[in-house]
Amino acid sequence: MIKLLKIEFKKILTYKIFWILTGLYFIFLAAGILLAEFMINNMVDGMNRHLPIPLPHVTIYFLPWVWQNITYFATIRYVLIFPAIIIIILITNEFTFKTIRQNVINGMSRAEFIWSKMLIILLISVAMTILLFLGTAIIGISHTTGLTLALILEKSSFMAGFFISMLTIQVYALFFGFLLRNTGLSIALFTLYSFIVEPVLYFFLKSPLVHENGISTYLPLNAVLRVVEYPSIPVLTKVMGISLQDSLSLSACAIPLAYAAVMIGIVYLALMKKDL
Amino acid sequence: METILSINRMSKSYGRIRAVKELDLTVKRGQVFGILGPNGSGKTTTLSVVLELIGADSGGFEWYGWPPSKESRKRIGSVIESPNFFPYLSAIVNLQIVADIKDLGYEDIDRVLQLTGLYERRNSRFKTFSFGMKQRLAIASALLGNPEVMILDEPTNGLDPQGIAQIRELILQVAAQGTTIILASHLLDEVQKICSHVAVLSKGVKLFEGMVSEVLSVSDSFELAAPDIESLISVIRRHPAFRSLTPGTDRIQVYFSTEVRPGELNMFCHAQGIILSHLSERKRSLEQHFLELLDQNL
Repeated sequence: MIKLLKIEFKKILTYKIFWILTGLYFIFLAAGILLAEFMINNMVDGMNRHLPIPLPHVTIYFLPWVWQNITYFATIRYVLIFPAIIIIILITNEFTFKTIRQNVINGMSRAEFIWSKMLIILLISVAMTILLFLGTAIIGISHTTGLTLALILEKSSFMAGFFISMLTIQVYALFFGFLLRNTGLSIALFTLYSFIVEPVLYFFLKSPLVHENGISTYLPLNAVLRVVEYPSIPVLTKVMGISLQDSLSLSACAIPLAYAAVMIGIVYLALMKKDL
Repeated sequence: METILSINRMSKSYGRIRAVKELDLTVKRGQVFGILGPNGSGKTTTLSVVLELIGADSGGFEWYGWPPSKESRKRIGSVIESPNFFPYLSAIVNLQIVADIKDLGYEDIDRVLQLTGLYERRNSRFKTFSFGMKQRLAIASALLGNPEVMILDEPTNGLDPQGIAQIRELILQVAAQGTTIILASHLLDEVQKICSHVAVLSKGVKLFEGMVSEVLSVSDSFELAAPDIESLISVIRRHPAFRSLTPGTDRIQVYFSTEVRPGELNMFCHAQGIILSHLSERKRSLEQHFLELLDQNL
């Protein structure tokens, strides 16, 4: 396992495109997190011009709600597309450069090859979870008064939701990459599916009467997006009278993981059978 | 001699195209085994199957008498088709990845880079290499860790004449150390110069297998002349191994069905009262043999 990781590190360490995309991802993520409150309050100001009773400004960085607010933003489709594209590139490169052939010729088994890519996905997910955990903790602590350890860690379980979303979206990307084998085609189809095909399907499958439990909940990408749902900002909850997600739901976590497991199985069977 | 690779009745089709048909092949330790055939004859398919890149439709193969595994592949150094490396990684890092996969240390990397003349460019990225240098890096990676077996698919493809000579010299050196080499080529000249054994493939069928020296020593025809050409012709027609002849104005070309030595032939003519004024043996070259074999099977 360490050997496989060592090989993967060599493949990534001096790969410029990987670092450029990772950098863009970080900038996008950080800018989004740091500007979110400002942008929401801008919208609130805009709405207030037409409302008789003005809405109060929101604060999203205070503990413990900051865990959900930030993990929610970090798992929207516009943000998750970055790690997905990175994984697609890392996998389809092996087919473009035919290095998967060379790795197998040199004595790597096909199962080890899939496993090495899974390890990288796992590692990226763990690393990002740790980074986001630290970042969120710092933001939360600096915006909250009356700190206690219990307050800090309350709702930090949303980080587990972030980890599951990161892991599963990358497995979906791995699935596209291994089956299509072509970088451009994989990225195009993945993006098309994420931003057009599934939203359209979602729209038609969504039952107007049952908001929560339509078949649309089970669409693969939607399952990933629903792990951490739209945050319940307490002030808005009071005003609007709706309560959204309060903590992670086990079933919502299990659905994308089940999809990921099936996809890994399909990739495994396909790679075992197909010619390289 | 220990059997390194044995292929048994192996077949592989791509859709309706039969790439390899019921191929049997045995390579023993220390042989420099040439697989010779024109483009599309099934050479690369055969090598891809024994390296488990593609699956055979039927039949099988064994390395060292065992079913294939990743462990057997680690003991083989291979170059198949084009050189496949990460374009953005240096020669050294690309070879480190190969060493990692094969469970080798990095201490052999400098040696193989020097052998292939790439040491000066060891820190350059693969994509900056010329095609010839890429091909040499592929050979360097195959040499890594002194494997017991090397599989080389068109190893001199794309090299300049000097590069071709260097690589052939290198292969001969490696072979002299006792490494078993399996070399696929469409160049007869290459097989003739490098290989001890040869199998000729055409359209996925093995036409011929044997030692290169045997193929070369087969005497094919004699050019004969005598003062009386007419009686020479009538005498030679009575030779037990006679097959055919092409008459000329002052010389005739005679073909025999079995091997005939020049001395025997001279004695035979002399015993029949013919004094030969000219006798020269025409050895069949591998190329002629190859082309004949292909012709017969077209």
